Amino acid sequence: MSRGLLGAFVPPTTKDFVWPCWGGGLRIGGVSFCFNFVTFLVLLGFLLFVAFFFFGLWRPQIVPGKLQSMAEMGIQFVRENIAIPMLGPESDRYLPLLATLFFAILFWNIFEVVPGINFSSNSRVAFPMVMAITAWVIFNAVGIRTHGFVGYLKLVLFPPGAPALLYVLLVPIEFVTSILIRPVTLSIRLAANLLAGHFLLAVFFLGTIALLQGGWLVVFAPFSFAMSIALVGFEIFVSILQAFIFAILTASYIGGALAEEH
Amino acid sequence: MLMRMGSLLAAEANDKRDLYPHASELIVGAIAFAILFGFMWKWVLPRVGAILEQRREKIQGDLERAEATRREAEAELARYREQLANAREEANRIIEEGRKTAEQLRADLQGKAEQEARATVARATEEIRAERDRVLRELSAQVGQIAVELAERVVEKELDKTTQQKLVDEFIKQVSGSGNGKG
Repeated sequence: MSRGLLGAFVPPTTKDFVWPCWGGGLRIGGVSFCFNFVTFLVLLGFLLFVAFFFFGLWRPQIVPGKLQSMAEMGIQFVRENIAIPMLGPESDRYLPLLATLFFAILFWNIFEVVPGINFSSNSRVAFPMVMAITAWVIFNAVGIRTHGFVGYLKLVLFPPGAPALLYVLLVPIEFVTSILIRPVTLSIRLAANLLAGHFLLAVFFLGTIALLQGGWLVVFAPFSFAMSIALVGFEIFVSILQAFIFAILTASYIGGALAEEH
Repeated sequence: MLMRMGSLLAAEANDKRDLYPHASELIVGAIAFAILFGFMWKWVLPRVGAILEQRREKIQGDLERAEATRREAEAELARYREQLANAREEANRIIEEGRKTAEQLRADLQGKAEQEARATVARATEEIRAERDRVLRELSAQVGQIAVELAERVVEKELDKTTQQKLVDEFIKQVSGSGNGKG
């Protein structure tokens, strides 16, 4: 290893996820707000979501244009591949939630691979948390409304067919896995994927730059560069996949809460 | 972003607190998500539903119209076939009639021609007969006259057999000479 390489390569750190305020902040009820790069990305994803559907469906035609086709196909995709398989006849009732989750996550994720930005607001765990908590509130509310509070607890905590003594063990496990862990796994799965994606991209792009300045090691630069290009493709896939997983898990939790008592 | 990463100092260490959520982010995220949800629920999905319904109705209408048109076309075709069959029958009938008429006409003409021919022959026969009768009448008149003349001459002269014969020959010569128009 040449000294040049070590000198040029700065490994990405968690400091990549800390962004200073642009201009002054604002304190409301003990919480300070300010506009920064993350807020900007949230706004950008928000506007992308609104613009995509607004311009797609502004004046819907029976024979759709390109954007309208895409908007319709997007909705149909969520309906046919997420809502209906998980919820069956109840799917249309929950389609607004599932479609919002899928597209909001997708449009926020995608900035991970936008050149010059390469950062997703969803790698800040707070944003996945908001959606995970929303999903959690809704699937529990659906369960309680369908079965009553006690009925829902019974449905969740007492899987049928176990010997009575085993419930001493099963009830706490079921409580933790079904009630406590679900929002945590939902938010961490999403945030960690994007965080890891960011690190991967940073390592290979910065690595390419470092190799170019690393004397004879420059021969490895094309491989590092090829890898970073491949990873961009991979991260596009991850962005879509994570949006899909988040929405389909939410649908599955709601489906579980709707299920008839065993 | 890459510029920023590049500018970071190697001395900066990882810190898990860098990744913790902030209350402000939760609130901003919640507001953004709530608005997107409202937009999806109240604006996007009703529009998609409406346009899908419209399209469904249009396609169904088109199919029904196509079915109706097809049925109409089939009825029309059946009608044309029937008309064609009728026309063919009519044509056959006309041809048959024509053939009959022609046959009739031919028979009539033939009959008339035969009749005419027969009439012509009959007329000719009649004429011939009339001519012959006339000739016979004339001839008999002449023969009578000749006989009388001959008898007169015979009576005029008392002749021997040779003279008598000579007289008859002369007379015959005279008669045949008059037959040649020399009197």
